[in-house]
Amino acid sequence: MARLGLGDLIGAGPRAVSRYTGTLLAVFVVQSLIAATCMIAVALVFAQAFAHLPLFDDAVDGDLVALLYCLRYGKPSLVATGGIVFAAVVLWQLASWFLVGGLNGVLAQRPEGRGDTARCFGASGAATYLAYARLALCALPGWVVVLFVFGTATSLVSSHIVHALTVPELIGALAVAVLPAALLLHLLWTVSDYARVELTLRHDTHDPGVIATYLRTLSYVLRRPVTLVHGAIGWLLFGLVTAAYAYLAQGHPMYGAGGAVTLFVARAGVSLLRMAFRFGVLAGQIELGRTRPLPPRRIEVNLDSKS
Amino acid sequence: MPKIDGSPALRGGGAARSPRAANYKIEARLDPLRHTLVASETLTWTNTSASEVDMLPFHLYLNAFKNEQSLLMRSSQGMVRQAKVSETGWGFLQIDSVHVAGVDLTAKLHPPADAAGDESVVELPLTQPVAPGATIEVAFKFTAQLPEVFARTGHKGDFHMVAQWFPKIGVRVGPPGAERWDCPPLHANSEFFADFGTYDVALTVPSTHTIAATGVLTNAVDAGRGMRTLTYHAEDVHDFAWMADPFMDVMSGQAKLVDEGTVEVRVYYRAEQKDFARRHLDAAIGAVEKFSAMFVPYPWPIMSVIDPPVDAMSDAGGMEYPTLVTTAGDSVFARPGIRVPEYVTVHEVGHNWFQGILASNEADEAWLDEGVNEWADAHVMAELYGQRTSLLDWMGWQGELSAVVRAATISKRETPSAIATAAYAFVDSAAYAESSYGATQRALLTLERAVGSQRFLAAMKAYAKAFAFRHPTGRELFDLLSSELGQDLSWFFGPVFHEVGGLQLALRHAGCRPAHAARGVFGDGSAKKTVTELEAPDTGTWRCDVVVQNTGTVHVPVEIELRFADGSTKQLRWDDRGTGNWERFVVERSSRLVEVWLDPENKIALDNPTAHHYRLDGDGAAALRAGAWFSSFTQTVLQIVGP
Repeated sequence: MARLGLGDLIGAGPRAVSRYTGTLLAVFVVQSLIAATCMIAVALVFAQAFAHLPLFDDAVDGDLVALLYCLRYGKPSLVATGGIVFAAVVLWQLASWFLVGGLNGVLAQRPEGRGDTARCFGASGAATYLAYARLALCALPGWVVVLFVFGTATSLVSSHIVHALTVPELIGALAVAVLPAALLLHLLWTVSDYARVELTLRHDTHDPGVIATYLRTLSYVLRRPVTLVHGAIGWLLFGLVTAAYAYLAQGHPMYGAGGAVTLFVARAGVSLLRMAFRFGVLAGQIELGRTRPLPPRRIEVNLDSKS
Repeated sequence: MPKIDGSPALRGGGAARSPRAANYKIEARLDPLRHTLVASETLTWTNTSASEVDMLPFHLYLNAFKNEQSLLMRSSQGMVRQAKVSETGWGFLQIDSVHVAGVDLTAKLHPPADAAGDESVVELPLTQPVAPGATIEVAFKFTAQLPEVFARTGHKGDFHMVAQWFPKIGVRVGPPGAERWDCPPLHANSEFFADFGTYDVALTVPSTHTIAATGVLTNAVDAGRGMRTLTYHAEDVHDFAWMADPFMDVMSGQAKLVDEGTVEVRVYYRAEQKDFARRHLDAAIGAVEKFSAMFVPYPWPIMSVIDPPVDAMSDAGGMEYPTLVTTAGDSVFARPGIRVPEYVTVHEVGHNWFQGILASNEADEAWLDEGVNEWADAHVMAELYGQRTSLLDWMGWQGELSAVVRAATISKRETPSAIATAAYAFVDSAAYAESSYGATQRALLTLERAVGSQRFLAAMKAYAKAFAFRHPTGRELFDLLSSELGQDLSWFFGPVFHEVGGLQLALRHAGCRPAHAARGVFGDGSAKKTVTELEAPDTGTWRCDVVVQNTGTVHVPVEIELRFADGSTKQLRWDDRGTGNWERFVVERSSRLVEVWLDPENKIALDNPTAHHYRLDGDGAAALRAGAWFSSFTQTVLQIVGP
């Protein structure tokens, strides 16, 4: 099999997005439903505390003094909001094992037609769900190491951050604080992604073990830096779109309930674009995953039959 | 060799402005490696009280940094303004000898009876009492070890901020004939109190170091071995502080005062802080000009602002001494338009009026300099940078200093001490800061808005003129304001400054129902008549009840605005002084009441206004917009952790 390069991995993205646009939109709808539920829940919490106080309107519309009062007055609401966001993230994390499994399955098996695609999505998501969950547990020690690296690097440069006088000084100190952990995080993330691909591609034929897959994939990713570069490009695009939206939205508060809907739609567009990038990266990972050496096949030995 | 300042110690020269009771001549030599001073001091002290004195108490402030038994360390638990004391950089002041009229009294020095291990005050019994009006000379030789900078004094690397560094006599206070000494040990919350006088200070320092000091430089000579001696002279000041650093540069500008005089404003800074130094310079020039116009003209020819190195800023920055202050706020986060550095400079320069010229007792009445200065700062910042943008004008965000500080600091629960509490008697430093700074500023702002800004500013100017170069008290400020404003203001000053409880204004109830003539059963016997909805139909108007309450101890007149569904408004006024803690207003209108706004012009700065503006029907539009923001944030996080 020909060795795939970065261009091949990137090229797989647009192909997959154009071929499985409906699948992408379906996953996006699920995500948007969670986000919309989150919006309504947060709105209810804030309405409970602030619906009778016009001060909150001013705060939302960018009045700094009003915002300070509301932050100090509405701490319970903020705590509740934090809880809602956390719950949404946990829920999504649990759902994502199914959704990513489904997406990987579709990209791997390339079904034709809506019905087959939907069946493939559901079957793959269900088939690999528990394996993905175990993989997430397997990856936990790595996250602890990331936190340790981040804490250590931050403590080393904390005085430089506190005492920074210029933007370059600050960026330099932040880079030292964040980059080691970010690079390690990216490595572990990429390993998890490729391990999922392996679990999906070889689930039916080799039934690979999760820990062995994780360790084999770690070795593979370290030997193939293109995996890291490809993933980094995806995150870069993700960050650029987010930053561009933040820049364009700066100083354009939208008033009224209609504004909220407009805002939601505009932000949903940004989210869809970012999801397309993520989907494209998954497609590239599947392409590369196909070229990996096959894992050892698990053989069941019946000891009783010997006798 | 630095250039000699050609100007007299007082702008334009002239007679003494103060009683000059405590006059110091000091010679000190700095060892920049050991951070020590070897010095001699001659104090010429005049007993300006009406009673005889047989003991002299002295502050040895540096002993507050000597060990963990000092009151400073005990009361701060080793932390002041989020900065921790160094475990290895203790400081102290050791008296090597003390002579009075040639007699060695060193052995007679002893700590006060109630010192409890603190060594920051020492008492010197005299062999001959000092009669009223008489003068005595006390000669010290002492060695000072500067601490690693903490609580505004000490060294950090090559930077030396030398403050509260010499034996300093206490102040006679109290009614004539029954005076007593005021010379308390240094507490974490309290600052300083001293008599005015003259200072002649000769500092022998490394030739490589830049020096900034109180007063004017009158002489500079080579002292050999890479050292030089700089002599400073200051008049009508109550303290002397200085800074030595080999890396400091200086930039200067001129403040033009209302009396057509000028003041040279200098900012000392390290090269990497040059951009911030420019901002401090502009702020300091503006502050000298505005404070001079608002109160009394700055009397000295020079104002020096030290911008400490960044690693010493939290400990050495933000402190005031006569003609010399330290500033702070230099940070990448203080972008141009985020005026925290300017605010610190204006505040510290402002202290040259509120405590520098009006030398109140900072330990007993901290609010009288900190809080009054805070109130004045808001005016000066507004004049310099615009009313709405006095603190913040950055990336579309705007903020007025007093409004932002009020919103960020106003306490949701009352502190258990009144504003007019001695600094060392507050339950903790947070209560001290809340009362002495924020609450005092808000009290004065409330009074200003109640009586009118022009009148109040004129009254405060009269206060400054009346008590310049004296030791005013809070009582004297209250009396003068009452006199100048032509009304007895005890109803305000009493509960605001001397009582706990504050102002707790709230809307208790608001609601409307359709108006109609009375229904029910009327009369007796044959005259009994039942009036029903048919006989007394709704008139088409609304009868609205509004109940306001004030559960605090401070009572001020309150404006109330009612807003109705047809867009009309009605203004009410509630003056609850002596009338109880609540009031019911009944209004009949053709349109339903939709909003109640207590204090719509935001005149009452003493209260938390979060719930002052209330709409009867809830409106969730803003909550939905906030929800949309949070959901967008959430979705971004979801996309990071999942597909």
